[in-house]
Amino acid sequence: MTNMISPRLIAGLALATLSLTFVPAQADTLDNIKKAGKVRIAIDTAIPPFGMTDDKLQPTGSDVDTAQLLAKDLGVSLEIVTTTGPTRIPMLQTDKADLVVSTLSITPERAKVIDFSIPYADHPSVVASLRDVPLKEMSDLAGKKVAVVRGTTQDTDLTQQAKGAQLVRYEDDATMALAFASGQVDILATARSLLPAISKKNPARTAESRITMQTFYLAIGMRKDEPKLKEWVNSWVKTNLQNGQLGAIYKKYHGVDIPVEQLLKAGN
Amino acid sequence: MLYKFDFSFLLEKWPAFLTGAWLTVKLTVLSIALGFVVGTLCAVARVYGGRALRLLAGGYVELIRNTPLLVQIFIVYFGLSSVGLKLSAEVSAVIALVVNMGAYTTEIMRAGIQSIHHTQLEAADCLGLTRVQTILHVVLLPAIERVYPALSSQFVLLMLASSITSQISAEELTAVANNVQSDTYRSFEVYVVVAAIYLALSLLYRLAFNAIGLMLFERRRRLGTAL
Repeated sequence: MTNMISPRLIAGLALATLSLTFVPAQADTLDNIKKAGKVRIAIDTAIPPFGMTDDKLQPTGSDVDTAQLLAKDLGVSLEIVTTTGPTRIPMLQTDKADLVVSTLSITPERAKVIDFSIPYADHPSVVASLRDVPLKEMSDLAGKKVAVVRGTTQDTDLTQQAKGAQLVRYEDDATMALAFASGQVDILATARSLLPAISKKNPARTAESRITMQTFYLAIGMRKDEPKLKEWVNSWVKTNLQNGQLGAIYKKYHGVDIPVEQLLKAGN
Repeated sequence: MLYKFDFSFLLEKWPAFLTGAWLTVKLTVLSIALGFVVGTLCAVARVYGGRALRLLAGGYVELIRNTPLLVQIFIVYFGLSSVGLKLSAEVSAVIALVVNMGAYTTEIMRAGIQSIHHTQLEAADCLGLTRVQTILHVVLLPAIERVYPALSSQFVLLMLASSITSQISAEELTAVANNVQSDTYRSFEVYVVVAAIYLALSLLYRLAFNAIGLMLFERRRRLGTAL
C-alpha cells in the first residue's frame, strides 16, 4: 500500500514545491515586446470614459485610444488585458501585462512597487452627492454612508480624512454606480469624469460634485527596473503631449482640455 | 530571482482579519440555521404537501438551484433597493444565503425523508399518531441522521460561498483580504493567509457539526454506527 502511494505523493510534493519557487521573467520587457510583436496593456474597461465597451462590446475610451496610439508608435499590435481597479498592479507584478494604462494615478505607495512614466493626463477626484444632500467639507461626511471603490486613491484619502464616515466599499465603479443609482447610498467619492455616466443610469438620482479631494496625475505603469522601456514611454508621452495627440484623445472622450504645460512641468 | 514572501503586514493587520472572520461566522451561522429551517419545511411540503404546495416548493428549488448565488445576492441588494426596500449589505447577504441554503437543504432533506421505510409510517399510524406527530416524532430525526454528512458538507460549502458577499460591500473575510491586498500589494501572501483562515474555519465547522451530531443522534453516540 505504502509503495503504491509514495511515488504519487512525491510527485505531488514536487509539484507543490515547484509552484512555490517559480521564477518571474526578468528579461528586458521592451525587447520582449518587440520580439513578440505585441504589447500587453492592462486596461479597466469599466471606467467610462477612460475605458468602456461600445455598442458592439469592443473596448473603447480615452485609455484604450491612448494604448492603441502607443502600440502603433511602438510598431507592434495591441493586446488589451482587461483588469479592475484593485488588480491593476498585480497584473504587472505577475507578468500578465507589460504596461498599465488604466486611470493609474501616481502615488508614493504605488511607486514603492511599480515604476511610473511621466503624467499623460490629469484626473480630479471628488465627493459627490444627491441634490438634496448638501456637503461642504470632509467633516460633513461624519456618520454618513459614503460609497467608494476598494483600493482606489479615494478609498485611501477618505480613510484618512473623513473621520467618522461610514465607508461602503465596492469592487469596481460599475457596482458603486449601481449602488448609487439604486439608492443604496446617497454620497459617493469618485473621479469627476465618472459623474455624467453615473447620473445617466438613473435620471432621478443625479450625482453633483461637492468637494474636490485631489487632482491626480495619470501615468503609465510598468514593472520596476525597466530603464529602456521607461525611457521609451517617457519620450513617447512627451512627444504626444507636445504635438497635441494625447490632448485630442482626452478632449474626444472627456470634453475638456488637458493642462499640457502643467503636465509637462510635473513630468520634469 | 525568487519571489520573496513578506508576511510582515500581518503584524499590523491581524485585527482586521479577525473582524472579517467574525463577520463571516456570524453571517454563515445565521444563514445555516435559518436556511436549515426553510429547507426542512420545504422538504416536508415537497413530500407530504398537497399538489399546490409541492409545485411551489419544487419551483423554488429549481429556481434557486439553477441560478448563480452572485446573481441572487445582486437581486436582493440592488434589485430590492431599486423598488424602495433598502437593506444593508449584511442583511441582504443573509437573506440571499438563507434562500440559497434553503433550496439545497430541501433536496437533501427530501432524500432523508423519503428514505424512511414505509413500515415506520404504518406503525405510527397504528399507534394513532396524527400526520404532524408522525413527521415530528418518527420521520424527521432519523431523516436528518441519514443525510447528516451531506448536510454538513452543504453547510461548509455555504460558509465558503459567503466570500462572494464582499461584492456587495459586506466587510467579511474576503472583503478584508481585498482591502489589505489593495493596501499592501502583497496579493499572494494575503490570499494564502485568507485561504488558511477559511481552512481553519471549515475544520472548526466540521468539528462543531460532528459534536452536534453526537448530541442529537443517540445511536451514533452509543453504537458509533450509521443509521
